[in-house]
Amino acid sequence: MPDAKQRRTNSALWLGLGLFLLAILANVLSFVHLTSAWFPFITLALPILALVFLLSATVRAFREPQLFRGKILGTSLAILAAMLCAASVAFFYGARHIPASAGAPQVGQRAPDFTLPDSTGQSTALAQLFSPARGITQPPKAVLLVFYRGYW
Amino acid sequence: MRGIQDDLPEFTAQGIRPVAISVDAPSVSEHLRQTQHYTFTFLSDAHLDVIRRYDLLHHAGGPDGSDIARPAEFLVDRSGTVRWENFTEDIRVRPRAQQLLAAARSIQ
Repeated sequence: MPDAKQRRTNSALWLGLGLFLLAILANVLSFVHLTSAWFPFITLALPILALVFLLSATVRAFREPQLFRGKILGTSLAILAAMLCAASVAFFYGARHIPASAGAPQVGQRAPDFTLPDSTGQSTALAQLFSPARGITQPPKAVLLVFYRGYW
Repeated sequence: MRGIQDDLPEFTAQGIRPVAISVDAPSVSEHLRQTQHYTFTFLSDAHLDVIRRYDLLHHAGGPDGSDIARPAEFLVDRSGTVRWENFTEDIRVRPRAQQLLAAARSIQ
């Protein structure tokens, strides 16, 4: 057994573990909260970085076992990080697998008219949305139609 | 939705009326409105008629494989003309209320 004093901290292992946990958090957050355009790329970058650090920590532990610990922990975490990378890539492409909507009304075109029930069941036409709302005398200059996936 | 509700006074001041549309039944939207304290209008397109007309159908896009609307935003002026629109590339990404307000400012 080498002298314990000669051992050095396998910092890549702990850095990799931290990035691995952050990567899980980022993936969860991205689906719970709507995010900015750059955030999905963070959900890819974090698990890849975690995998790189954990692999280098594991290689180090096997090459210089007298200096660095982490053969078992490094290997296990690297496998988990690789699985997280695969899942993150799948989530990333899944979230971007959206129809092209080439036939949607373009800027400058007329918005197709419609009549739909509101949340109280009252039938509402697009034109009616331009009438003054309760308590407001000024009619709206524009309606912001927000199509969303739905509340489950 | 949360961002729109938080900035609703600013939308109203600018003469913009936000309206949310999804496949959810009116009762589901009403439940969402009450639990989340949303005060703007929610419309129900359970038969996907309007969603199809706007070419926003996301076939089997729901978690249970149901057909839903893809996220999209349109600013429609009083003449019924689309003045601004946005189609996200990622279902996790939506325009912020400030982006929507900035687009609204360009409309007279």
